[in-house]
Amino acid sequence: MTRQSGYYTLITMLSIPAFVWLIPTLWMVSLSFQPNDVLARTTSSTALGMVPIPFTFDNYLDLFAFGHTPIWFWNSIIVALGMTLGVLAVSTTAGYALARLQFPFKATLTFLCLIGLMIPEQAVFIPLYTMFADFGWHNSYHALILPRLAVPIGVFLMMQFFKGISKDIEEAARIEGVGWLKIFWFVMLPLARPAMITLAILTFLYSWNDYLWPLVSAQKRDFFTITLGLASLQSNFAQSEGLGRIMASGVIASLPVVILFLVFQRYVVRAMSVGGSKG
Amino acid sequence: MSEYIGKARLNQKQAAVVLLLPFLCAYFAFLIYPFLRGIWISLHDWNLLAVAFNPDAKEFVGLKNYVRVMWGKDITWTLYHSPILQSIAIAGAIMALWVKSTYRMRATFVWLIILICAVLFIASGFHPGEGGRWYDRRFWPIVVNTITFVGVTVPCVTGVALILAAALNRETRSMAILRTLFFLSNVLSVTVVTLIWQIMFSPRQGLIANVMDVFGGSPIVWLTDMQFAMVAIVITTVWWSLGIAMILFLAGLQDISNDLYEAGALDNATGIKAFWFITLPNLKRTITLVVVLQIILHFQVFGQVHLMTNGGPNDGTQVLVRYIYQTGFRDSELGRAAAMAVFLFVIMSAFSFVQFMIGREQE
Repeated sequence: MTRQSGYYTLITMLSIPAFVWLIPTLWMVSLSFQPNDVLARTTSSTALGMVPIPFTFDNYLDLFAFGHTPIWFWNSIIVALGMTLGVLAVSTTAGYALARLQFPFKATLTFLCLIGLMIPEQAVFIPLYTMFADFGWHNSYHALILPRLAVPIGVFLMMQFFKGISKDIEEAARIEGVGWLKIFWFVMLPLARPAMITLAILTFLYSWNDYLWPLVSAQKRDFFTITLGLASLQSNFAQSEGLGRIMASGVIASLPVVILFLVFQRYVVRAMSVGGSKG
Repeated sequence: MSEYIGKARLNQKQAAVVLLLPFLCAYFAFLIYPFLRGIWISLHDWNLLAVAFNPDAKEFVGLKNYVRVMWGKDITWTLYHSPILQSIAIAGAIMALWVKSTYRMRATFVWLIILICAVLFIASGFHPGEGGRWYDRRFWPIVVNTITFVGVTVPCVTGVALILAAALNRETRSMAILRTLFFLSNVLSVTVVTLIWQIMFSPRQGLIANVMDVFGGSPIVWLTDMQFAMVAIVITTVWWSLGIAMILFLAGLQDISNDLYEAGALDNATGIKAFWFITLPNLKRTITLVVVLQIILHFQVFGQVHLMTNGGPNDGTQVLVRYIYQTGFRDSELGRAAAMAVFLFVIMSAFSFVQFMIGREQE
């Protein structure tokens, strides 16, 4: 009895900070539905601006009628999907080889890949910039995608997973005379689906939210990602675009990751804690 | 092992080569080579624009960039030059020793932390003597800013996340919803987060100013005020990155056996007592991991500062990564920027190594 009531007190006590935590996000959504001319005067029309009255859809309609936002959104989709597929491809293959195949210098190679986890993006973005400039690669999709393929975290994630799979299946296939590549493709990959989803979500989130590398690499507005484009809108705040429209861009920019989070919550949480604890 | 079984076309070694090649190519081309090239650039007087037009416009200068960034004229060393940083270093070393005596940790790991503290202690004793000056007046204050930011943000996030995780560690529907609410801000990008908080902090349009207005307070000019700018950056960062720490703590809490709490309940240890005497001691390893992870994460802070305060007012919120970015891409001095990036890497790799050791302990 007391335990039950204690539980409900706890829920109530926690609901308050949880709501406070949500307020900034709700405020952005609310502002995005208010007319720009009203916002120029005051942001606290109804209930401190938390309720979108007066209400309008114009900010969203404007967003897709003119301006760069649709292009940036599209760029983000291409880059995030391309990066996700690329990382999955190189990580599953290398992870499988390091976990299951025997070959010379395996330990050395594994160690060498481990070192890569210690190199932060911030330590290599200058040389990467000069390299890509030499190749004339900047302002392209592959310039935005390629550097992430080199980060070994996916390889380690897949390697850990493949190490955990029982050897029996593989040996049965070997006795049947199935080649290594076929075992990888037809036996191992289907088993690895949960780990692959985790890695895919981790990569997609990273790509969608990455800021430093796109800032350095993409100088033409046509190759901005939505994250970078949103930053460029912020630098000339309140002047041209109007507060409501910038907030609408913010909502649009967040929509894919928020939906991804709500649908695949379990995987996202797993992906982020793996990403967090391994670099 | 027998190779060539049945119709298999590739033996094991060949298969390994085929499977490893795509990753290794990317790894060496876009991580290892750029990393080494970064060190090489740091040894040159390398102007971004000049070299772009004429590849021979760089000049080998050895360690001069490092000297220009980190050293100065007439530098002396006194024992207690910066009391705050040096006290932090001593506290860190004492804590490492305490950790070592309370729960068995590999000695090398503890010594590594003590080494980091010792380096911090010695480094913060250096300062320009009479008539001397740093060659780069901005570098060390910026490093101190970065350390201050990390030093304030990490304890805040860790403390709040730990309490929340302990409270939310129940498998009920309402708890799951509350966890979702706290975690949601974590998936937003840095530009969305700064977009929200820039307006939140705005003295004319901001929600905080509006609320204060209701209570008759006068609005604070958060982002351009010397006192409040860093506070604003910290608030934004705590709001953004609380979720991930909370999730890691929740995972750690799952590993604590329920028997311990039941045994504790017999000794009248429930609620806060149970948290203090059962949860905390059993969570030490996770806490250490979360703290180290966050030091690594927040030491690389860039977006919040770049977008909200531009490092201002008067370099008050300028941080290391933004200074590297500015030196490289605004001032075109790639050599100096690369030297600072190597400095950043050395600090990061020390903490990464600590993280790696904790990971090993867990397995």
